[in-house]
Amino acid sequence: MAQMKNETAETSSGKGVFLRILSYARPYIKSMLVCFVLVLAVTALNLYRPILIGRAIDGYIEGYARPLACVSPEDADVEFDGLYLSRDENAASDRYAILVYYSENYYFVRDLTAQQAEELSALTGEDLSGASENGGTLTFPSADGRTEFTGRLLDRDELSVLRKGDHDGIIRIGIEYLIVLAVTLLCELSMVWFLQRTGQSIIFDVRQQTFEHLHTLPLRFFDTNPVGRLVTRVSNDVDSLERLFTQVIVKLFSNTVLIIGYAVVMARINFRLALLCFVFLPFIFVLTYIFRTTVRRIYRTIRTKISNLNAFLSENISGVKLIQLFVREKSKADDFKGRTTDLFRSQMKELLAFSLFRPGIAFMANFALATLVYRSGVSVLAGTLTLGTMYVFTNYIRSFFQPIEELAEQFSSLQNALASAEKIFTVLDEENTIKEPDDPYIPEKVEGRIEFRNVWFAYENEDYVLRDVSFVIEPGQKVAFVGATGAGKSSILNLIGRYYDIQKGEILIDGVDIRRYRTSDLRRAIGQVQQDVFVFTGDIKSNIRLLDESITDEQIRLAAHAVNADRFIDQLPGGYDEPVTERGSTLSAGQRQLLSFARTLAYDPRILVMDEATANIDTETEGLIQEALERLMQGRTTIMVAHRLSTIQHADNIIVLHKGRIRESGTHQELLQHNGIYKKLYELQQ
Amino acid sequence: MQKLKNRKGILRPQLKKYGPAYLLGLITLLMVDYVELFVPKLIGEATDGLAAHLIDARGVLMIAGKIVLCGIAVMFGRFWWRRFIFGSARKIERALRDQMFEHLETLPLRYFNTHKTGDLMAYFTNDLESVRLAIGPAIVTSFDATVLTLLVLYRMMTYVSVKLTLLAMIPMAAIALFGYFFGEAFERRYSNMQKAFAELSDYAQESISGERVVKAFVQEKKQYAAFREVNEKKRRATMHVVRLDAAFEPILHFLVGLTYVVAILVGGYFTIVGDMTLGRFVAFNVYIGSMVWPMLAMGESVTIISQGIAGLDRLHEILDETSDITDPEDPDDVSELKGGISVRNMSFDYREDLPEALHDINLEIAPGETLAVMGRTGSGKSTLVNLLCRMYDVSSGEIDFDGHDVRNIPLSVLRRGIAYVPQDNFLFSDTLAGNISFGKADATEEEIIAASEAAQLHSDVLDFPEGYDTVVGERGVTLSGGQKQRASIARALLKDSPILILDDSLSAVDTDTEETILKNLKEIRAGKTTIIIAHRVSTVQNADNVLVLEDGRVAQYGSYAELAETPGIFRDMAEKQRLEQQLQTEE
Repeated sequence: MAQMKNETAETSSGKGVFLRILSYARPYIKSMLVCFVLVLAVTALNLYRPILIGRAIDGYIEGYARPLACVSPEDADVEFDGLYLSRDENAASDRYAILVYYSENYYFVRDLTAQQAEELSALTGEDLSGASENGGTLTFPSADGRTEFTGRLLDRDELSVLRKGDHDGIIRIGIEYLIVLAVTLLCELSMVWFLQRTGQSIIFDVRQQTFEHLHTLPLRFFDTNPVGRLVTRVSNDVDSLERLFTQVIVKLFSNTVLIIGYAVVMARINFRLALLCFVFLPFIFVLTYIFRTTVRRIYRTIRTKISNLNAFLSENISGVKLIQLFVREKSKADDFKGRTTDLFRSQMKELLAFSLFRPGIAFMANFALATLVYRSGVSVLAGTLTLGTMYVFTNYIRSFFQPIEELAEQFSSLQNALASAEKIFTVLDEENTIKEPDDPYIPEKVEGRIEFRNVWFAYENEDYVLRDVSFVIEPGQKVAFVGATGAGKSSILNLIGRYYDIQKGEILIDGVDIRRYRTSDLRRAIGQVQQDVFVFTGDIKSNIRLLDESITDEQIRLAAHAVNADRFIDQLPGGYDEPVTERGSTLSAGQRQLLSFARTLAYDPRILVMDEATANIDTETEGLIQEALERLMQGRTTIMVAHRLSTIQHADNIIVLHKGRIRESGTHQELLQHNGIYKKLYELQQ
Repeated sequence: MQKLKNRKGILRPQLKKYGPAYLLGLITLLMVDYVELFVPKLIGEATDGLAAHLIDARGVLMIAGKIVLCGIAVMFGRFWWRRFIFGSARKIERALRDQMFEHLETLPLRYFNTHKTGDLMAYFTNDLESVRLAIGPAIVTSFDATVLTLLVLYRMMTYVSVKLTLLAMIPMAAIALFGYFFGEAFERRYSNMQKAFAELSDYAQESISGERVVKAFVQEKKQYAAFREVNEKKRRATMHVVRLDAAFEPILHFLVGLTYVVAILVGGYFTIVGDMTLGRFVAFNVYIGSMVWPMLAMGESVTIISQGIAGLDRLHEILDETSDITDPEDPDDVSELKGGISVRNMSFDYREDLPEALHDINLEIAPGETLAVMGRTGSGKSTLVNLLCRMYDVSSGEIDFDGHDVRNIPLSVLRRGIAYVPQDNFLFSDTLAGNISFGKADATEEEIIAASEAAQLHSDVLDFPEGYDTVVGERGVTLSGGQKQRASIARALLKDSPILILDDSLSAVDTDTEETILKNLKEIRAGKTTIIIAHRVSTVQNADNVLVLEDGRVAQYGSYAELAETPGIFRDMAEKQRLEQQLQTEE
């Protein structure tokens, strides 16, 4: 059900997502344009290369069939067989010679009139059907049958002399080809580099924005979204946009240009042959489309099956103890086999689709080639097509289908990228519900008076965890909240720093509603000591100063000393530079607690908010913590949630919460005399 | 050497089974390659025939027809080798996957304590995939590339010209060399990029996990700046990779282009002077095009195969793992447990360098008795139960069932004899009926309902959309903690073993329900042994004996009545819980 909803959302907003993701390219529009121009250049150059070879074939390799004029020695290009010959077509002469190609050999025919030379330069296969070869001499009749031509077989050296002009032409084309190659290389290199730089910059921007946006979101958001998922947004999802900017968009463009380019060039060279090639296009399109949709569908099933299989695996690894205890190894293995077989069947379907499509396309290409060879061959026979053009076409048709297949592939990539983009946008569209005030109250100094006025608060809907709570804490006072689990103690701490907004009532600091403070000012005034101390990867020092470089090493030492943390820090091999990690169990719970005291002290807040650790702490450390706490609380308004009543007997005021309401308050002695909940709690812990 | 043997070890039976299919596939592949090379030759023939005026329209049609025939042959060939080779690779993948799972199930709990689920899953996904890629696509590619290269070279030399082929080989060799060095450099830069990416992910992970601290100490802006650094580092590392990667294709195109230049200059000259026909010249150009891919593919498949070998080695890490909890070689003649348990001077440590989790424990449970085990978190209660089920072996001392050392009892007899309700109330993603009958697959509906009623679950089940056919777990209905506990109690009750162990299994049910369940237990379990681990004193009121553990040692051991009167941990607990209860009722 949920999945269906996702899918429809995906398709309906696909275009919007695409446009939105494109908008990130706006700052780089110039670079993108340069890339597109370079793409055009590269495409044009690539199209030009077969044409060059075609020209080499028609102009020079097949260039033997050009009449050679007999001229005076000074005008001649070459002296051969006692004749002075010129390749210049405009050379005035009455005698001509020409080369005739027959059965893989060249023959020299001389003493021709201009008209005869003209006839022989356009010889076709049929014209030579009456030819006969005898001892190096070729004899064949003219078209009208009135004259008989004789040609002398030429050897390699003679050909080399006679066809020097053709050879020069070939060298010219070779050089030209080399230049085209070099220019292509330059264009391509600068294009991809440009493109990559642009793409990576965009990725950088999107990633930074996503990360920054996440940190502006309220705690409520993090309560409902697992960290792993959010990290994926910042890391993998952003990465999958990379292909979009560095490849997909440009490839979509270049392949479209390529297809159009091929079509135009082919049509200009030979319209009829081009049409013949185009006939295959719709087949390729349809075949590709069917293939893509089929594979997509199968692939989706495979993905589901794999994730089901993984879920099964992970569940059964977690539950391996039960499987062994209930002796179900065999049946679980059978169950697993059933699932792998099921997955296998889908994978075989995918394989089938591929083994039908890929060879199918290959056959289509070969079939198109065969048709082309036949059609153009017939035209060559009829003299309406040159062999060079035939070469160009056979070369083109092989490359013609490729961009179409690639185009289909890029559409899939595009869809994947858009799916990732959509996930990122969902995060970016998430709004911060803790609104900063438009006209903030900026305190010169926070005194530390805290007041709750008829506060009602629920994490969700109407499920109130605090009901009509009111109290006042004067600057410098120490107040403790006690109560059974779920009484709402910890919520009070969350509310003072405005991590959640209350539903009803008011919270005031120094008489001003906390919603009128900028959250940064508010939170800077409040030092939070949490139950679970979060340790960042780094060293002891960096965990005390966090990222505030203005806190000096000396201040760190003083803070650590004041809260007794220096005792264990000094014992670490690296002292303040000892590396620590979040997962690493290098620090005990008590040591973490002391570290967090030092952290809080280093930031010197006016108000101290503490959630006492419930974790088991050895008695020695416990003593150190008590001492540290005393020092920490000195001169600060302190609110603490106590789980162990022994720690709060000296509080100025103890407030007993029960089921979201304030039930009792007073000093330790007063409350004990009152003989209410506090007394029971107290006895419980003795 | 040993490793190499092992590698073969796991693949050998597979290769034996699928060897013929592979052979057929490779032969088909060979034939396809061979036939494909006819196409350029046919085009060359057409060109020559036309140039030399030797063929007519019929001749051209013949050639076109031959091309189509080649196309058909290639199409069928390609279809079949895919089936043969890729199909076999998939089958081997499946077999290995099954084999791994089956093996994993036999491994002792100790193994799972030290191997995270995520890491184990990686064997099934990444490593298995790398093996499949090696025995599927990589084999095809490397074989294909080698064959194609040889065939094309042969064709070039025989059909076109030896001299020209050798000359054209110069840029080709450059491509192979280029590909090799490129791959090396790429690999290096790529691993740098991956490191940068991991760093970035870790940073984001930590920063988001530490959200509270970040907000409390107003570190947002500083986080942005710090993230900008890792982000920039990733961008640079990526640029480093892509600059190289992006240069690859253009340079490749250039090198291939050089081959064409050789073809034009040298081939063109040969054609002009009649050493070579135009058709051969054209065919040569086509051949060059078909040489590019194999040159690149060979390098690529070398990488994939080496990754596959690494993957195979990793699979061995699982498959070579052996269990130290195995059936006794010479088991005592026991076919079922009767319920007597005695533990003598038993000590246990999870690892030698760790302090003992249990120290010198002595216990005696007669068949039919109920023992309650109490103690703080970490006092060793669950460890004791795990040892009874022989999830671990004791370090010293002995555990006996009906006078047989636990290590001499066949595992299946032992575990059939014990029904266990775990602390975490683990249920499988299955129907409720499936979960409850987990220990007795052939249970009737009546039996399921009876067990469910005894566990006070039945009335809850009736409220579910599909009753006992309701699927629970991740993809089904989410049960409350109490429902899960009751379901796992029902599961254990249905197994109806001589010994029942409840590992703190009533913590999430309210006191009334607890009382009813306890009452039911007393009835059902009459004459059978029961061990109850509990935190609440109320839970253990029916126990014959109570064992209180403290730091892995026996702190108190005696009857309920005895302990309730002796000053000590048990009495303190009882007192506190009474108070707590009072507090709860406070309005």
